[in-house]
Amino acid sequence: MAASPDLSVDIGGLRIKNPVIAASGTFGYGTKLITFYDPSLLGAIIVKGLSLRPIPGNPPPRTAETPCGLLNSIGLANIGIDAFIDEKLPSLDTIRTPIITNIYGRTIEEYGELAKRIEKVDGISAIEINISCPNVDKGGMVFGTDPDTAAMVTDQVARNTTKPVIVKLTPNVTDITVIARAVESAGAQALSVTNTFLGMSVDVATRRPKLANIVGGLSGPAIKPMALYLVYKVVAAVSIPVIGVGGIIDYHDALEFLLVGARAIQVGTANFINPRAAIEIVQGLNDFCVRENVSNIVQIIGSVVTE
Amino acid sequence: MGFRSERLASSAMPGQFLMLRVDSNSKDPLLRRPFSIHEKSDDNRLTILYKVVGQGTSLFSTLKEDDSISVIGPLGNGFSLPHPEERAILVAGGMGIAPLFFLAQALSRAQKRHMKMLLGFPTSQEVVLADQLKDLGVNLSLATEDGSLGFRGLVTDLFDQSIDQESEAKPIIYACGPRPMIKKIVNKAMTFNLKCFVSMEGFMACGLGICLGCAIKAAQGKEKVYYYVCQDGPVFSAEMIDWEVM
Repeated sequence: MAASPDLSVDIGGLRIKNPVIAASGTFGYGTKLITFYDPSLLGAIIVKGLSLRPIPGNPPPRTAETPCGLLNSIGLANIGIDAFIDEKLPSLDTIRTPIITNIYGRTIEEYGELAKRIEKVDGISAIEINISCPNVDKGGMVFGTDPDTAAMVTDQVARNTTKPVIVKLTPNVTDITVIARAVESAGAQALSVTNTFLGMSVDVATRRPKLANIVGGLSGPAIKPMALYLVYKVVAAVSIPVIGVGGIIDYHDALEFLLVGARAIQVGTANFINPRAAIEIVQGLNDFCVRENVSNIVQIIGSVVTE
Repeated sequence: MGFRSERLASSAMPGQFLMLRVDSNSKDPLLRRPFSIHEKSDDNRLTILYKVVGQGTSLFSTLKEDDSISVIGPLGNGFSLPHPEERAILVAGGMGIAPLFFLAQALSRAQKRHMKMLLGFPTSQEVVLADQLKDLGVNLSLATEDGSLGFRGLVTDLFDQSIDQESEAKPIIYACGPRPMIKKIVNKAMTFNLKCFVSMEGFMACGLGICLGCAIKAAQGKEKVYYYVCQDGPVFSAEMIDWEVM
């Protein structure tokens, strides 16, 4: 085995050099972890969810740790799409990997407006639609739990952009494949499965919920088996690429998602704990392919043995 | 607990913090834990002060000499030091002594100044570092809630007395401890129009300004609605924060 393995994959028309993507909300606006490694080495970066206008976020406490998990209710705190494009995007110029914007609207029209503004910007390679944030009272998960509205949001974005459209789904539904098929029909070119699971935690001494918002979204290794199951199910239900996300800490976790059919994976909570987690996963996948004589990572995707 | 690192020690400033993790493969506990730097020694040794309260800290007590630990830091802004002509009063409640000890150490080394420090603990058994502070030449007053050592009552009562006795020269206040304590100190300091810096805690997942967990409400009229303890702090000038919601 001489040549280094080909790790590149295609997600809905976007070619990325390896399947490891930094998940929205865990990588800032793209440059925060630059002291730890060059983010150009990742497959892609999805920046913090952006809305039309800045959002200050929810009152603290916003995070709580649970066994093997992180409960959060940040509330989509962000600087707004215009400030991102004007102030943050120019500094991402030196990063040689696709930048994907995650967008959040309070109304279907706002999603369309966000897509329009992004369409004009060269430095953004794709759009990830957030219809799955559990921590905002308007929009977010509300759109992601109903197949018709999920499709309307997707359609609204797709008709306003030529860039690849990825839809990030919520696990907090009875049957995720119904939503997955609905957004596929509406023009989604890839799916991110999954956002956080609704959860809560209570301090027995004070009898108060540990989050000021009472409930929040659970991430981290605690949700990995559930996220993996959802990816497995969605892969069987749609023909567009699925990006696996949920509790991936190391390359082993990433391989599990690829094996059940994820075309790429996102690293989220792990970035908080080990800022080098994502780049270590890229390296781990590369070394695995070398060891196992895999010349192209695509050979691994969907190769889980079930009979 | 202390550890040696030339890289960390060379840049560590009083008030800054570290994100620590004992076992790099641990999934439970999952997150790093933030700790103020408590002391810096000449041999590139940094020390943190901890009390065993949960999973993370109980792991610390299992460490032996020459074990290694994963550290990210130094993080955060650190204390603004007083001008040489300003007098400083340091007020600590319980484990809030950690960053203020490092500050006292730095002030005594750099400026050989007169420094007053007020310390509060529940009982005499929990008092730490009093002798070391006296060695630094700090004018120390102790309060214990049960009266087993020093003043009987809260460190905030001691602070009230101390401020009431002040002459016209205005001291600069540095405070760290439980939120209700900090709030009382700030209240008094603001009433007397004293410059006051507080070291704040916040629930944080990363310490690096990406999780946005450690939000703290900014005072009315500030440019931002929330500050983040990890990147805007952990030290804040008291007037920056909205104390009504604390």
